Amino acid sequence: MIAAIGLLLGVIAGLLLQPNVPLWLEPYLPIAVVAALDAVFGALRAYLDGIFDDKVFVVSFVSNVLIAAVIVYLGDKLGVGGQLSTGVIVVLGIRIFSNVAAIRRHLFHA
Amino acid sequence: MVADQRVARRTPEPPPHAVMGLLNYITATSLDEDYAAQASRRRAASPTPGSQDDRQTGAATRHRPGLVGLAVVAVFGVLVATAAVQTRRNADESASSRASLVSQVNARKAELASLQSRAVALSRKVATLQTNDLQATTQGRAVQGRLAQLGVATGAVATTGPGIRIRLDDAPGAVDDSRKVHGQDLQKIVNGLWSIGAEAISINGQRLTALSPVRDAGTAITVNFVSLRPPYVVQAIGNRKTMAARLLDTAGGQTWVTLQSSFGLRFDITNEESMKLPAAKPASLRWARQPERLK
Repeated sequence: MIAAIGLLLGVIAGLLLQPNVPLWLEPYLPIAVVAALDAVFGALRAYLDGIFDDKVFVVSFVSNVLIAAVIVYLGDKLGVGGQLSTGVIVVLGIRIFSNVAAIRRHLFHA
Repeated sequence: MVADQRVARRTPEPPPHAVMGLLNYITATSLDEDYAAQASRRRAASPTPGSQDDRQTGAATRHRPGLVGLAVVAVFGVLVATAAVQTRRNADESASSRASLVSQVNARKAELASLQSRAVALSRKVATLQTNDLQATTQGRAVQGRLAQLGVATGAVATTGPGIRIRLDDAPGAVDDSRKVHGQDLQKIVNGLWSIGAEAISINGQRLTALSPVRDAGTAITVNFVSLRPPYVVQAIGNRKTMAARLLDTAGGQTWVTLQSSFGLRFDITNEESMKLPAAKPASLRWARQPERLK
């Protein structure tokens, strides 16, 4: 419940404020969003498993976003940005899928 | 070798990510291990582990997202909204820049067309003025005659006259290269035609000049840098009574007789009473200049 309210608040704030993303940060925003999505789904699964923890959530969220952005940044500097972001997306995508599968099992018992 | 195996047997179990393969490992550890670790640490720390009471009240208070969780989820929401807004803004920008490019292209095309039509009109005017000017004097008329003759000889103006028409084509249903017409086959025919006194030649409407290459470019043959498709129709102006027979005596003609009999390529010669060969496109010379004393 509290998470849904937070999400709603965040989305509304983002739409109202429309913060200007600096140009150098623009390429890393989508990958950061995917990394954040992974952390959020992980948290939801942990919540349904009954082992949710605020501190772990915060740490995993921040580190996920930062590491994903840094990997892609490094890749850009080395000239393999596209391939590295593909790698990051693949790993995060697999994690998101299996987490969502676990959540589905919790919610629908199927 | 044996010692190696013994060492391997003695080593402890390798970690799971070394055994499972990358994808399986990612799937198995998709939930952050810290959640489980934190939960087990808490369970170990609590004074009455496993008691029904603790699990219900404790879990209810501690295993729910608090204010920090709310803040993080709000940050996530801002991130998502910002990314969406940014993507949409960029899409708008790229669409508008594409539209402006398209309009620029169209404007330039229209400009080019108008300039080209103006160039045609001007060159026509130059031709009439030149004719009028030259007609005025005897010397001018002589020059004009010479100009016309040179124009025919160099391919600068269209030409009519009798001659032969040669139709060259790939063997019917040809698949492999040996049954197709190549640039060098065409070159041989053209060479043969020049050698028996052809005065003007065109291939599929491309008039040959002193600057006309006949060559292979990929699978097509290009003449005057224009790609041609089979069948290739070579028109040559000259003495139509003797040209066909004399062509077969040249090396090029002989080559084509062989190509026709052994590979099935098509090679037909017809006599024409009158043909019209188009003018070649004017060549733009960038380096060649007239010597001083001829001016």
